[in-house]
Amino acid sequence: MERNDALGFIETYGLVSVLEAADAMCKAADVELVGYENVASGLISVVVQGDVGAVKTAVAAGVKEAAKVGPIYSSNVIARPHADIQKIIARYVLDW
Amino acid sequence: MEYSGEEALGLVETRGMVPAIQAADVMLKAAAVVLVSYENVGSGLVTVMVKGDVAAVRSAVEQGAAAAAAIGEMTAAHVMPRPISRVGKIVSKHDIDGD
Repeated sequence: MERNDALGFIETYGLVSVLEAADAMCKAADVELVGYENVASGLISVVVQGDVGAVKTAVAAGVKEAAKVGPIYSSNVIARPHADIQKIIARYVLDW
Repeated sequence: MEYSGEEALGLVETRGMVPAIQAADVMLKAAAVVLVSYENVGSGLVTVMVKGDVAAVRSAVEQGAAAAAAIGEMTAAHVMPRPISRVGKIVSKHDIDGD
């Protein structure tokens, strides 16, 4: 990840709702799916990046759609993440 | 950033990854601290650690914990003003810049 783009996160209970969240986010706005982590006990998150506006729209849409499928634990948008946050995200970057 | 002890260490533990990253971002922006570690410890618990001066770490942890609690479940927050170097050895096993 070369740019210090905004990051959007959605964390749900279960794979079904997280997949729905990822799909809805990428379809709702111009964001890129960059990460995925299963932290155990059913908590799974997906991470997107892009412009702040796009990320905010994507997370709102993702939460709305995923909530129809299963429970959502939390969601967040970091408009301009600190450089060290990229180190954390880099660990979970999806290799296409 | 590698941690070898004898410097203040701040820890915030949350349930889930999203509050943990939020805590890390807020901590790094709140005071002059650097990220030491991000660790998924299992059972859904995620810990982030920062290091720096005692006052900086104390202030960072306070604000990071509050930010995490606002969007998720914050299970533990702690400041160790001056851990012994052996504790640093444990922490360095979880170094974010390590393998």
